[in-house]
Amino acid sequence: MNRLAVIVARLAWRNLWRNYRRTLIMISAVTVGAWAIIFMTALMRGMVNDMVRDGIESLPGHVQAHNPGFRDDPSVASLLSSGDAEIAARLDGAGLRAWATRVNVPAVVSSERATRGVTLIGIDPLGERGLSFLADAMADGRALRDADDDGLVLGRKLLAELETEVGKRVVVMSQDPANEIVDRGFRVGGGFDTGLDQLEEAMVFTGKHAAQALLGIEGRVTELAVLGNDFRAVDGLVAQVRALLPEDTEVLPWYELDRYIGAMLDVMDGFVLVWIVVIFIALSFGVVNTLVMAIFERTREIGLMLALGMRPSGILLQVVCESLILLAIGLALGTGLAWATVLPLRGGIDISSVARGMEMFGAGSTLYPELLWRDVRLAVGVVLLLGFVASLPPAWRASRYRPVEALTRSA
Amino acid sequence: MTMTIHRPDWERSLSMRAWTEGDERSLVRVTAPVRDAGNATLLDGDRMWTYSPKVNQVIRIPSSLMSQSWMGSDFSNSDVSRADDIVDEYDHRLLERRESDGRAVNVIESVPHEDAAIVWGRELLSIRDDHVVLEHAFYDQDGVLVKSLKTLEIAEMDGRSIASRQRMQKVETPGEWTEIRVDAVRYGVDVPASLFTVSSLRNPRE
Repeated sequence: MNRLAVIVARLAWRNLWRNYRRTLIMISAVTVGAWAIIFMTALMRGMVNDMVRDGIESLPGHVQAHNPGFRDDPSVASLLSSGDAEIAARLDGAGLRAWATRVNVPAVVSSERATRGVTLIGIDPLGERGLSFLADAMADGRALRDADDDGLVLGRKLLAELETEVGKRVVVMSQDPANEIVDRGFRVGGGFDTGLDQLEEAMVFTGKHAAQALLGIEGRVTELAVLGNDFRAVDGLVAQVRALLPEDTEVLPWYELDRYIGAMLDVMDGFVLVWIVVIFIALSFGVVNTLVMAIFERTREIGLMLALGMRPSGILLQVVCESLILLAIGLALGTGLAWATVLPLRGGIDISSVARGMEMFGAGSTLYPELLWRDVRLAVGVVLLLGFVASLPPAWRASRYRPVEALTRSA
Repeated sequence: MTMTIHRPDWERSLSMRAWTEGDERSLVRVTAPVRDAGNATLLDGDRMWTYSPKVNQVIRIPSSLMSQSWMGSDFSNSDVSRADDIVDEYDHRLLERRESDGRAVNVIESVPHEDAAIVWGRELLSIRDDHVVLEHAFYDQDGVLVKSLKTLEIAEMDGRSIASRQRMQKVETPGEWTEIRVDAVRYGVDVPASLFTVSSLRNPRE
C-alpha cells in the first residue's frame, strides 16, 4: 500500500508537469481564488470586529450588572440593590481588569432653540479609563475631570442639533425615583466625536455625583460595567462577577446586552463558509475541466497501466492525487499572497470616502483587516474536501476504462 | 379670555376660561370653538396635566414635553407653567427706569442662576409701576433676541390695571404669533379647592 502511494504520488506529480502551461494556469486560478477567500474574509472580519469593539465601548464593558428590571425599564426606578460603596467593597481585590459604576437614565436636554431626548450618563471619568470610548473621543472643550464634575459632555452632532456650543448652558430634565420632574442647568464642558451619529445624538455625560444629586439618588447607581481581557471569552468573567454581587442582580455578557452585535459575529461565521463555497464552486469547474482533459489525453496510457496490472483504485487515486496537489499548491500560494497583502494593511485602510454609508451599520471609517488562523484553516479544509469530491467523478470514469478499448482508442 | 394663533396661511381663535389660586394652582378650560371645547389644562406647582374630552383621557405632561407647544400656540408648556419661577431662579438687576405715558417703567435684567433649569442667557422685563408687565424678552446666550411677549393693550378690569392683550412672537418666524386677549377678569372670587384637582379637570362642575 505504501509503495503504491509513493508510485501514485510520483506519477501524479509528473503528470501535472507534462502539460505545465495548463497546470500553471490552473494553479494561478486556485491561487487567486484562495487569495480572494482569505483576503476578503480578513476584511470582513476587520469590519465586524470594528463594530463589536465600538459596540462594547459604547455599552461599555464586556460584562454589565443591572437591576433585573433595568433592561425593560432603563430608568432611575431600576437602581442596583447595592450602593456605590458596597459594590466597591465587593469588587476591590477581585482581580478585575477594570470596572466602573454609572448612573444611566433617560433625560431630555434643551437649549434655547431645540430639545432632544437623550440618555444621561453619570460617570466617574477616572474609573472609566480603558472602558468606554469617551476619553479617546473628546473633540472640543475639556473632558470630565472627576465624579464631582458638573460639566456636561455632549456629542458633536447633538451640539449642532441643539444649536449650542462648548461654554453655553443647557437644561437637563429627568425624573427622580418618585416620578417627579427634576431639572437643572448644566454648562457644556466638551464635545465628543465618535464618527457615529447614533452615539453622538444619544449620549450625554456628566460627573456621577452631579447626576446622583440631580436625581436625588446619592450613592446609588444603575449600572456596573466590567472589562475583561478578551471579548471573545467572557463567560468566565460573567460567572466571576455574578458570584461577587448579590443574588438580585442581573449580570450579562455584551452579546446578550446588545444582541445585534452578538448576532453579527455568528452571522459572520456562517458568511465566511458561504463565501468559501461560492468561490470554490467557480473554481471547481476549472479543476474538473482540467482533470477531464488530462484523462482524455492519457486514455491509452491509462489503458496500458490497467493492462499491465495496475488496479482501478490506483488510477482513481492517481487522478485524485493530481487534483489535490494542484489545489494544495494553489492554496499555499494564495494564503501566502493574502498574508502578504494583509500585512502592510495592518495599520488600517482609510475608507472615509464611504464612511457615511458604513456608519449606518455602526462601523468606523478605518478598516483593520484581521487574518484569523481559524479562517485560513477553514478555507484550506473546505477547498481540499470539496476538491476531493469534485475530482471523484472524472477519476472514477478513468478507473472504469476497459484496457482493450482504451488501448485501441485513437486519441 | 381669547387666544389667537396666527400663522402666515391661517389663524384660529380659542375662547377660554381660567381660574387661578395663589401662585401655584390654575385651571384653564377651552369653551369655544366647539371642536376644541372641553380641552383643559391643570397646573399644580411643577406638575401639569391636560384633558381632552375626545379621548376622555387625563395626561400628565412629562418633563420631556415641557418645551413643546401649549395647545398649538407659540407658548411652550413651560412658559405656561413656570411664570413665577422668575423670582427665585434668577439674579435681577435694575437696568433703567423710564417714563412712559406719565408712569414709571422699570426695565429689569434677569440672568438665570448657573444651575437653574432655564435655557435663556438673560431675560429683560419692562414692568410698569402698577405691576403690569409691558414686555418680556427672551435672549439666548449670545445675547440674540429669540422671542418676546409684548403687551399691546392695557385695560382697567375689576379695579386693577392688567395687560389685556399680549402677543408672543418668535424673532425667527415673523409671520407667526400668538395673542392672548383678556375679555373679563374678576378678583377675589371664592374658588373651591376641589376645582384644582385631576377629577375636576375631567368632570367640569362649575
